[in-house]
Amino acid sequence: MGKWSVRQFLSNRQQQSFVISLGAFCASLLLVALVCVLGLIALRGSDYFWPRPVHSLTYTDMSGAEHKVYGQVGMGKVSSQYSAGIERLWLIRYSDAAYPFGNQLILETPDIQHLAVAKEAADILLSDGTRVFAKPVSVDMPGQSAQPLTALEQARLQVDALQQDIEQIRTQYLAPIHRRLAELDIRDVDDDAPARERLSREFKEWQSKVLTLETQVAEFRLNVQFSDGLPFAIALNELDQLNYTGQLNVWGKLGVAANGVWAFLTESPKQANTAGGVFPALFGTVLMIFVMTILVTPFGVMAAIYLNEYAPDNSMTAIIRICVSNMAGVPSIVYGVFGLGFFVYMVGGQIDELFFSDRLPAPTMGTPGVFWAALTMAILTLPVVIVATEEGLRRVPDRLKAGSYALGATKLETIWHTILPIASPGIMTGVILAIARAAGEVAPLMLVGAVKFAPNLPFDGEFPYLHLDRQFMHLGVLIYDGAFHSQTDMRSASMMFASCLLLLLVVFVLNILAVILRKRLRQRYLRGY
Amino acid sequence: MLKLFEREQLDLEGLSPEQTAIEVRDLNLRFGQKHVLHDINMRIPKNRITALIGQSGCGKSTLIACFNRMNDLILNSQTSGEIVIEGRNINHKKENLSLLRSQVGMVFQRPNPFPMSIYDNVCYGLRLQGIKQRRQLDDAVERALHEAALWEEVKDRLFDSAMTLSGGQQQRLVIARALALKPSILLLDEPTSALDPLTTLFIEELMGELKKRCTIVIVTHNMQQAARVSDYTAFLHQGELVEYSDSDTLFTMPDKKQTEDYITGRYG
Ligand SMILES: Nc1ncnc2c1ncn2[C@@H]1O[C@H](COP(=O)(O)OP(=O)(O)O)[C@@H](O)[C@H]1O
Ligand SMILES: [Mg+2]
Repeated sequence: MGKWSVRQFLSNRQQQSFVISLGAFCASLLLVALVCVLGLIALRGSDYFWPRPVHSLTYTDMSGAEHKVYGQVGMGKVSSQYSAGIERLWLIRYSDAAYPFGNQLILETPDIQHLAVAKEAADILLSDGTRVFAKPVSVDMPGQSAQPLTALEQARLQVDALQQDIEQIRTQYLAPIHRRLAELDIRDVDDDAPARERLSREFKEWQSKVLTLETQVAEFRLNVQFSDGLPFAIALNELDQLNYTGQLNVWGKLGVAANGVWAFLTESPKQANTAGGVFPALFGTVLMIFVMTILVTPFGVMAAIYLNEYAPDNSMTAIIRICVSNMAGVPSIVYGVFGLGFFVYMVGGQIDELFFSDRLPAPTMGTPGVFWAALTMAILTLPVVIVATEEGLRRVPDRLKAGSYALGATKLETIWHTILPIASPGIMTGVILAIARAAGEVAPLMLVGAVKFAPNLPFDGEFPYLHLDRQFMHLGVLIYDGAFHSQTDMRSASMMFASCLLLLLVVFVLNILAVILRKRLRQRYLRGY
Repeated sequence: MLKLFEREQLDLEGLSPEQTAIEVRDLNLRFGQKHVLHDINMRIPKNRITALIGQSGCGKSTLIACFNRMNDLILNSQTSGEIVIEGRNINHKKENLSLLRSQVGMVFQRPNPFPMSIYDNVCYGLRLQGIKQRRQLDDAVERALHEAALWEEVKDRLFDSAMTLSGGQQQRLVIARALALKPSILLLDEPTSALDPLTTLFIEELMGELKKRCTIVIVTHNMQQAARVSDYTAFLHQGELVEYSDSDTLFTMPDKKQTEDYITGRYG
């Protein structure tokens, strides 16, 4: 008998309510933590899209000179390290003649002479991701300078039309001629051969046409003024969005935010991943998960079937089982190193030597890429799938197997027609866990194919369309990269949170899909058992 | 003794090969070290119902599982002796198990329909044989369900899940599933022990119909049932075949003391 016992202090009822309240406390603590994390990410992530009014600001600098600028006010308080004794620091992103594409400014309250929303000024987003805060004044068009702003829409349409023309000439005429010239080069045709001369002549003609069109485009300009009255001109073909954010009501802001979300989802990152969208990263993430799922599911299921249905019940099998469950605990970076050393260098290098030797020393498969990344993640998530599938297989009642055998089915037929369908919810559970795990990993991916910036998507119109050997962008890597950007720059910091929010959403959507699928499979195959 | 049912009696000892569905010669079976069946010798007549009775654990299930070699699934089972069905020794190592099991159907104690539609359940064996034609499958399903006396109840819901059926219906579905393969022998291992008395009666009637088509071997722990439905009865005790004769004789004037003790309920 122990000296100390719970019974001495608490009655049975009290013990019960104590355990219940302790459990409830822990559960609610978890819930609060979860809500806090999600709330923070959602808040700061959506900040990336929410338009801020353009203010006009008058301030004095350290030498006492007065400046007037247009700009946006950031999140208020900045690091307290510099702000001892100062109740508040203002973070301002502004444009003026010296820094038309924006600069950052930190002010103390006494420095600010005047700060008010500027209804006349616009937040002008350029196609390279930079912003200009200025007051639009007039529009220049070929032959007609300084037209009123009402002509802006029409001018933009004209610019679009011209640029389409240029694009058409490029793809329909210039590119094919260029290709034919290259063919002539390969066939070693003389420089003065008539075919070559004709082609070069055509090429020059089209090129000069493009040039005239481009000069025309360059004549379309938006004239703006900074707060101190200095003028600035923006080429219309570089103009992406123009919003008078000071004038917008909530609905207007929502509209701008919706545009921003769309651009975020469909465009490429700009300004070294501090502006623009994340489409390539979103695409890369989903593609990698997709390929990984295709790779890991059959392997995991086959391994589980072997372990559960075929493997003899001996110590060897027990050792394999222990290894499988221990594999789940290996740090993910180890898988990254394994993927790089084994898949990329050894397997990829061998493939290059055998099949792509004409391109060596430039590697084809012997370099990090989507496929190797997916394969590495497949290895990393394999134990999860195996364990969950085995769980599902164990749940298949013996009498169903017996029923199948008694109808003349072989072992393989029984597995295929009876065991696998009934185990499918278990398999789906494994796939869900694998997806959740794979979507969250960054470190191993950076070794085997994920990069901060990839010039091409792994998918395009060129045969074989899906280029699994290419490097790819990944939301996790983008987030990781974002952490190294200036945290005081309000936009680039919030881009990181926006990417984070998107990554959460991707995992969430994939999980929901898998859960729905699992529920359907359960209803179909497990009802009544 | 008054005979309730007039039955045409065959001499079990002198059954000709044409009259024999299963001939068991010197069958011994071990599960590992455990000797479960000892020197079984018996001839099971064609188109009759033969019942196996005995205490639980005496080897009844094991014996009928020998007839379609389901014991092969148990890892450490060893069988010796011969079982002749349709002129061949099915214990031969080259026996085609798929073919054997389509000729010898089996129904288990608890209904075990697959979690698929009623239709797919009945088609399971046929599809394994590579039959894909819709017409052929439709006909086979209808015939099998008729034979199992289930057609009228399910003809409007063939594509509902089999799990929606009642226990008795499920058991008849499982019988239909076996019948779809047109087996010459049907093995029933306590087919009614999980069912209510009325459903049990229904299935017993069904067996009377089925014996026109195939030979039935039924395991039962219910002696009334054995006496009611079977033509012949074998009494097993601790893995040995103690007595085997026509049911009327066995239940009214058993030869052996052990049999008498068992059927009069002195043990078991
Ligand atoms: N898989 C098995 N492994 C070992 N022994 C078994 C196995 N199945 C049955 N037995 C044994 O074989 C004997 C006969 O079992 P069984 O044929 O199921 O009896 P019953 O007459 O009740 O159907 C029992 O003693 C049982 O313990
Ligand atoms: Mg039994």
